[in-house]
Amino acid sequence: MKQSPQDKNLERMLRSGRLVAGGFLGTDSRSLDEIIAEDAAVLHRLGYSVSDVAARMQDLRDLARPALGTWIQADEELEVKSEDYKGIIVCPWPHEGRYEKRITTAQRLDTGQSISWSDLNIHLIRDHGFFEGRGAFFRIEPEELIKVIFKG
Amino acid sequence: MMGFIFSVLLLSGIAAGLALILVISEKVIQNYGSCKITLNKGKKELTVEGGKPLLTTLKEQKIFLPSACGGRGTCGVCKCRVLEGAGTLLPTETPYMNDKERKEGIRLACQVKVRNDMEIEIPAFLFAIQQYQAKLAAVEDLTYDMKRFRFELLEPDRMDFIAGQYVQITCPAYKKGVDEVSRAYSIASDPQDNHFVELIVRRVPNGICTTWMFDYLKAGQSVQLTGPYGEFRMSDAQAPMIFIAGGSGMAPFVSILHQMRHAGSTRKADYFFGGNSVRDLCLGQQMAEFEKAIPSFKFNPVVARPQPEDNWSGQAGLVTEAVKRQYSDLSGHEGYLCGSPGMIDASIKVLVGLGMPQDKVYYDKFA
Repeated sequence: MKQSPQDKNLERMLRSGRLVAGGFLGTDSRSLDEIIAEDAAVLHRLGYSVSDVAARMQDLRDLARPALGTWIQADEELEVKSEDYKGIIVCPWPHEGRYEKRITTAQRLDTGQSISWSDLNIHLIRDHGFFEGRGAFFRIEPEELIKVIFKG
Repeated sequence: MMGFIFSVLLLSGIAAGLALILVISEKVIQNYGSCKITLNKGKKELTVEGGKPLLTTLKEQKIFLPSACGGRGTCGVCKCRVLEGAGTLLPTETPYMNDKERKEGIRLACQVKVRNDMEIEIPAFLFAIQQYQAKLAAVEDLTYDMKRFRFELLEPDRMDFIAGQYVQITCPAYKKGVDEVSRAYSIASDPQDNHFVELIVRRVPNGICTTWMFDYLKAGQSVQLTGPYGEFRMSDAQAPMIFIAGGSGMAPFVSILHQMRHAGSTRKADYFFGGNSVRDLCLGQQMAEFEKAIPSFKFNPVVARPQPEDNWSGQAGLVTEAVKRQYSDLSGHEGYLCGSPGMIDASIKVLVGLGMPQDKVYYDKFA
């Protein structure tokens, strides 16, 4: 399908390093639509929606925040921490959206697997179905994310 | 054959002619001529050539509005109030404005073009901001993810600042895919050592500017700074003070302590510095020297989760818990906070809960 000028601008912004070093698409040669569609298919196969995933990421972030960067137990097999860094990052989509540079890390105590996400990731997943492109610093593999943040 | 060549030449000529007309018309149509910008109700009047963004126009007149993205409309930092002459709010500005700002005429200076006479309002301290050429004189590792950078000022060769203020450093396009940006850092140096500026910087994972500072910037390299910005500073009162910081939030307090030392201050200051582990603590030696030089100053490092192998004998737990353990009534104190939004919000809650008036809590929130 032919891209609209707005979509082209968005993809150009996502590939550039204007907002984050290396851009949001990393080394991924797929189009934005393909990336979103393939990740959505993974979620669908596993029986989750972007809302489920983003809500759980946000809950874990909220649970970890009062601990001011230290690990706390989310359940018997999962611990989380949330660290704040200096700065603000904006959503690359053309709408209001500024996010503090906060990184939440969840780690499974049974498997040792861990995964990190920023506040912006939560928004990108919930509102745009976007897990970022492969090779991007904050790319989140949906299957790995689900293995870590949801029980069994 | 000749006919083909003639057609190509004719088409090329028409295209060149159209391009020329476009260039000329752009010059004529976009020639806004001389425009007057009135700042802060006549405090300053500028006569400028129209046609450029307000941010660039002001910069050319040596008025440096803070901006993190270099004027590309992606940071929302260069806000100023435009009372007249800016036209309607642009779609590129709306993501950065809340309702209150829209009503007050707040605009992004990088998006608003100077097309006619304008009337604007900017914070008064911005009139004193200068641009500095400097070079990196030294770098010191403070922790595994924090460094102290010392810059020698070259042109101008001194900066007069108040302890607690910050500068902006311009991060160049140091590798493919990275554009020039600017970032703000609190000054961590002695205000009397004014031929140098020191910054304490914590690495942001994948951060554009901190990656440059940690991995690319070398001693002797030239950098551009603007400043000093900001209104975070010690008050003139004599009330005892509680300082709370974490990570690179240490920076303004180092500067403030230098100021207190020079002034022979006897004002009581209790500094709670929080780290998650012992390896997050830094500048212990310098703090001990300040304790000697300023008898009314006490440094309290607090480690959230000390490990047995750390042999940590100091305070443990969250920095806010340490404050609560030590104080039951802070109604006569002032609070000074610098650090992450989470830490600042938690600290405000604790300080106000212990009786400190909200308007006596001063903070510099990482943003």
